[in-house]
Amino acid sequence: MRRNKKTPALTEDLAVLPLGPVLELSEARPLYIDEGVSPVAYSLTLAAGECALIECHDSQLAQRFTDLCAGMFTLASGSAKCLGLDWQTLDERRTNALRGLMGRVGEEAGWIDFDPMQINILAPSLYHTYTPLDELVDQATTLSEIFGLPGLPIEMPPHMSFLDRRRSEYVRAFMGEPILLLLADPISREPEDLYNAFLGQMTMACDRGCAVVWIASDRSVWKDYAQEDMQFLRLSDGGLNPMRGL
Amino acid sequence: MNVSPEHGLPPSGTPRAPQPAEDRAVSGVSAGQKKNTAPAPKDQSPLPVPLRAAERFAVIQNLLVLTGHFVRMQSRFMLVLIGSSWGVICQAVQPLTWRRLVRMEFWRSLRQSTGGGLLSVLVVAVISGLGIVAQAVFWLGFAGMTQMTGSILARVLVREIAPVLVGVILLGRSGMLIVAQLGVLTTAGKLRILSGMGIDPFIALIVPRTVAMTVSGFTLGVIFSVVALGMGYIVCWSQGIVTMPIWSFMFQVAASVSKPDYLGIPLKFLLSGFSVGLSSCLSGMDVTQNDSLSTMIPRGFSRGILSILTINVVIDSLFG
Repeated sequence: MRRNKKTPALTEDLAVLPLGPVLELSEARPLYIDEGVSPVAYSLTLAAGECALIECHDSQLAQRFTDLCAGMFTLASGSAKCLGLDWQTLDERRTNALRGLMGRVGEEAGWIDFDPMQINILAPSLYHTYTPLDELVDQATTLSEIFGLPGLPIEMPPHMSFLDRRRSEYVRAFMGEPILLLLADPISREPEDLYNAFLGQMTMACDRGCAVVWIASDRSVWKDYAQEDMQFLRLSDGGLNPMRGL
Repeated sequence: MNVSPEHGLPPSGTPRAPQPAEDRAVSGVSAGQKKNTAPAPKDQSPLPVPLRAAERFAVIQNLLVLTGHFVRMQSRFMLVLIGSSWGVICQAVQPLTWRRLVRMEFWRSLRQSTGGGLLSVLVVAVISGLGIVAQAVFWLGFAGMTQMTGSILARVLVREIAPVLVGVILLGRSGMLIVAQLGVLTTAGKLRILSGMGIDPFIALIVPRTVAMTVSGFTLGVIFSVVALGMGYIVCWSQGIVTMPIWSFMFQVAASVSKPDYLGIPLKFLLSGFSVGLSSCLSGMDVTQNDSLSTMIPRGFSRGILSILTINVVIDSLFG
């Protein structure tokens, strides 16, 4: 599979700057209390290929924490960095370009209901890359088949079942070989074929050097994936706290 | 108090409520006594204490706050519209803005606004041609002012009526759709999710739609003018009011267009489309969780109409 050609917004940064960890939260304390994430200090460092498994029983908090990792919060103190680039100091164009290197799965998929699903799936790649359309379609079709869809879905999102929308979300998240996956309660153990396909793609992504933040409300979903070198954490209103394995 | 002799009511006819003893004493009527008609001495109310400087300042401050709040509430959307207009222009001239997703959105919006509004424009243009042009030609001929036909049609139909009608058609056919779509996206929180994927909603949604509506406004405006004039000519020619060929008729209209109008008329078409597109996008995004389609649509429509009329008045005042 060919690697996507990125937009020029980041190429100069990536060429000049020494790259730091893929994700680095250093005592990052959000400024506002009313945005669904507690204004406590969060610390987390993920290098390429590393994975953080985080238990969280509050779906809104999980979603907002992934937003924090994507630099969508103003910080009162501390810093949040991606590839060594501080979200707070980047201009808007570079911020968007950096977010384009991420894959996200969450409770709120954000489908545009008046666009067909193939446009929804390809939208981030069409916006952020120069990869030819044929290659993007081939890549999306291959991923769709891996996740159990008959091909690249072309229906409107409201006309699709919940499970098919979920599959489409995985396709969108894994498109373009992301460098960071932010997953907020992405999957349950059923259906098993989808679960296995998801774990397979996750493993391939990590082997490629993609860092993963996987938040789950039920830790049993990690059973077939967790390894000793991964970080185990618990996310609550008190912040991020280490957790002893599974 | 005068009491009427028949029923003991005051002259007004309203029955009196029974008074407590202390009140009766004050008013000069005590239990077991006849009514005393002598006026009772008035209670002297205490004189008002003059306001201190701090209180006066607080009153003035509150008045200023209220005035400022009212002015800001009334002018907020207009200021947002002006600022966003500049933003759209700045982004639209940058090649990097026109990524594939934005280009797709532009062509889709252009198809929707131009293709969707074409039939409505043709129908309205035919009706205008039948009504306005035919009547103008007939009555000018009746008054012996046939040579004024071209200039009056150019001034009234092409310069004044066409931009407003095309703007209203665009607003109703495409603007309201934009308000509804973006309003639903905003209230569902999906714009934030788009931002989370690095897709700027301003670049991905507002810029292409506004530019598409601008192009559409100009296209539909030209189509409207040509069809309305052509229809008017056909009606007049069929009734024998006009005998010149259609090219001469059109040339007469074109020749009577003044130099400033060669800039003013296209500007009106362009800016009507631009203002409808942008005001619809902003009305769709300028919603709260409490808003629904029943509140967004009327607000978007009134803002759109206001922006069309404002554009026309401003250009008229600039180009005479």
